[in-house]
Amino acid sequence: MHLTSETLERAVEHLSKLPGVGRKSAQRLAMHLVKQEKDGVLQLAQALIDLKEKIRYCSNCFTITDNDPCPICRSAKRQRSVLCVVEDSRDVYVIEKTNEFKGGYHVLGGVISPLDDVGPDDIRIKELIARVNSSSEPVTEVILALNPDAEGEATSFYIHKMLSPFGVKVTRIAHGIPMGTELEFIDEATLSKAFIGRNAF
Amino acid sequence: MIVNSIRLENFRNHEATEVNFAPGINLITGRNGMGKTNLIDAIHYLCMSRSFATSSDMYVVRQGSSGFFIEAQLSGSIRSAFGLSCSYSRGEGKKFRVNDSPLERLSDLIGIVPVVVLSPDDKRLTNEGPAERRSFLDAMISQVYRSYLTDLLEYRRIIRQRNRLLSMRNVRPDLLRIQLEPWNQQLAKSGAKIIERRRNVLARFARFLEDSYALISGIGLKPSFEYKTIAPVPEGADETHIAGLFAALIEDNHDKETERQMTLFGPHRDDLVFYLDGMELRKFGSQGQHRLFALALKLAQLAYFSDTLDDLPVFLLDDVFGDLDPAKVKVLADMLNAHTGQAFITAANQTPFEGLIPFDTARNRHFSVTDGPQVSPVSAG
Repeated sequence: MHLTSETLERAVEHLSKLPGVGRKSAQRLAMHLVKQEKDGVLQLAQALIDLKEKIRYCSNCFTITDNDPCPICRSAKRQRSVLCVVEDSRDVYVIEKTNEFKGGYHVLGGVISPLDDVGPDDIRIKELIARVNSSSEPVTEVILALNPDAEGEATSFYIHKMLSPFGVKVTRIAHGIPMGTELEFIDEATLSKAFIGRNAF
Repeated sequence: MIVNSIRLENFRNHEATEVNFAPGINLITGRNGMGKTNLIDAIHYLCMSRSFATSSDMYVVRQGSSGFFIEAQLSGSIRSAFGLSCSYSRGEGKKFRVNDSPLERLSDLIGIVPVVVLSPDDKRLTNEGPAERRSFLDAMISQVYRSYLTDLLEYRRIIRQRNRLLSMRNVRPDLLRIQLEPWNQQLAKSGAKIIERRRNVLARFARFLEDSYALISGIGLKPSFEYKTIAPVPEGADETHIAGLFAALIEDNHDKETERQMTLFGPHRDDLVFYLDGMELRKFGSQGQHRLFALALKLAQLAYFSDTLDDLPVFLLDDVFGDLDPAKVKVLADMLNAHTGQAFITAANQTPFEGLIPFDTARNRHFSVTDGPQVSPVSAG
């Protein structure tokens, strides 16, 4: 069905390209924007433009930032000797929310997946090796925090292998039972990993 | 597990069908092409997310409609009463729900309602290639161990990733070797899990197979099987040991696999070799022995499930009585009378069961399927 306005049609077309937005939701969003105050819509438009014009990647850890280096890399409170390796910037935000980790990050920008034509050279593994190898900021521990699926595991294994000549300690986050769930609802794979990784009480 | 009732919309030839089943044996009779098999296939679809009678979801949708819906009311030992439904539409695929909450993954579904099917297709188990036997094994194990299906899907994913790498042109051989390494390691680890699980289940399964074959054949031949996997695995070897064997095998065959550009070794190539009194069934077995062996495999699955699971399996027998001689029919009928779980039988008519299975009891019920299709209980007498 075509809409009565080509302008609206064009907006709907663009909105429906966004992840998780179908044509119907796109129409609802567009109609909502039409009814909004002009100021609000202009601010949204500017925010979208800024996404492309102001955002860059931190030249040190490759997380998304407005100012290079990013606030985490600039902070004097962070331990520079511990690096946490994650798949993308979203993982940084999730870990930051915990307030548990006080080291730095390294954002790979993907995981190894031949089916998607992503090899070790297509993600920032070389950059990680360079950071570990640099003499200005010695790294003593690299924590791997990738997803526990086939691709995440393969990438972890590859990085571990590549870092082994440098004598740096390589660890990985534990697999375990989510808080607030009951044991009977946990899948066997998680439960058995939780058993293997059990701690002294 | 008991299927108390089922409702079908546009499933195969059923436009709108609703049936209340008996908790014991349900006999469904009718002329060919009326939709007897389709009715019990719907039960299978709810249990296993696929038809046992046709390979593609495309053929499951009634001609002229864009999707189907199946809903059953069940009762079991852990969940005393619950609804299970599947809605399928072209384009959007299928969605399963327990009561009203959607099941996110296939492994959430398989095993909720354990099911065993006997059908004329069972002869493929002994006649056809290893893939038939692996899929029998996989369907059996994944209904008992939830993590098995997840492990299997992950294993298949690793193979696809690895095959993609192996088939890449223009990669320097030394770089290819380095890039293969993480996938080799994943393959060995994940493959070992599958092999270990298959070995353990098969070790228990052997006893049930012997009992079933003795029961159905009545003669003293002893059935056995050999589980053929990557390499001979020593008795008592654990997962780590198997992973080590597998990793060594992958390493030894690096050149061969890069040349053939695919994963040549692993549990995706496993097979079961069947024997009767030590003679290989495939080479020396008669037609009759093949049929009995296949039947015994399915009956052993039923016995294994009944022994292992909290809920008794739902037993589907599709058109298997026509081919059996009266003595075998009697054995099977006795077994059904003794089976305390629910069973569904399709047959052309009631004749084979007369004097063997009573259908005028509260536990059993006889339905006939007529044009429409119309499914209605046949009153006793």
